Amino acid sequence: MTLNFSLPHETIYAGAEVSQVIIPGEAGEYGVTVNHVPIISQLQPGVLQIIHEDGGGETEKYFVAGGYALTHENSVTDVTCPEAVKLDDIDPDAVSKNYDTAKTAHASAELGSLAQAEAQIEMETNKAMGAAIGLTLA
Amino acid sequence: FEELPQKCLIVPFTSETGLCGGVNSFISKSTKRCVKALIDDGKDCNIVVVGEKGRSQMRRPLGEKILTSASGVQYPGSFALASSLSTEVIKEFKEGDFDALVFIYNHYLNPATYQQMYQVVSMPKNSSEGNFLVGYECDGEWDETVDSMYEYMLASQMFYCYMDAGASEQSSRMAAMENATKNAGEMIDSLTLRYNRARQSRITTELIEIISGASALEGK
Repeated sequence: MTLNFSLPHETIYAGAEVSQVIIPGEAGEYGVTVNHVPIISQLQPGVLQIIHEDGGGETEKYFVAGGYALTHENSVTDVTCPEAVKLDDIDPDAVSKNYDTAKTAHASAELGSLAQAEAQIEMETNKAMGAAIGLTLA
Repeated sequence: FEELPQKCLIVPFTSETGLCGGVNSFISKSTKRCVKALIDDGKDCNIVVVGEKGRSQMRRPLGEKILTSASGVQYPGSFALASSLSTEVIKEFKEGDFDALVFIYNHYLNPATYQQMYQVVSMPKNSSEGNFLVGYECDGEWDETVDSMYEYMLASQMFYCYMDAGASEQSSRMAAMENATKNAGEMIDSLTLRYNRARQSRITTELIEIISGASALEGK
């Protein structure tokens, strides 16, 4: 099946032939192979896994912070996200620090305010990032 | 400008500061043409201007059409910037109940040329009608997901137009600056020549005076 994976400032894959893509959707992770039903999904912060067709079927992992994934009838999948990084490029120390800062902001913000919602989003994203690289953040 | 829907929200992309050649006047002209075409066709439109230069240029001729403007936007922007811009635009779009957005921007061709382009972006009002995504399953709430996705698409489109316009502005500014420098250089050369000639003629005049004074004295 064909994969188009793009960010606003850069296209990572355009028309690449892959065997499977595992997408972190709202209701959980789901895998897309050829002849999947057409589906549109909003992405949660999580790990996007791309299993390539050629040779040993190596898995490429990206951490995505959100975005949308559409699978069309002709087995073309479009994934678009504001930001995506390879797991190897994530710095565990930075992630823990960001998580702690977000946690403090969340605790000190007014209940139900915009600041609290933003801090909560940051916390969840950092937690997911940590989980992706094997770091458990409380 | 053909085939524009009934009620359009026009978003022209201009620059913040001047001294960038013809980019902004081209956009103003295109916007005026677009508004005229829509009104001639019996359609309606409003404008949201991006960039201070555009706002000041279009304020007088198209003043009553302008809903709001986004100034103080620095190039190069990031996607976050485009997202906040698009939030503004979406707010106006929903309030005014428009059919589509028309982005007018300069498309960068090469360092010497750019071309005015316009892009029509339609947002389906009611998620289900005329929407090609109707047959798609969704693992969350279909309406919400599709709405959010269209907003994201709008932000991407704005980012693209904004970047393109920014590139054209930079190249136009470079060309304008180069021309200005060249003209200034030529002016310096010609003024230097004039200065030398004036200096020499003054010296000659003084010499003549002194010599005629001296020869007059001698003659006595």
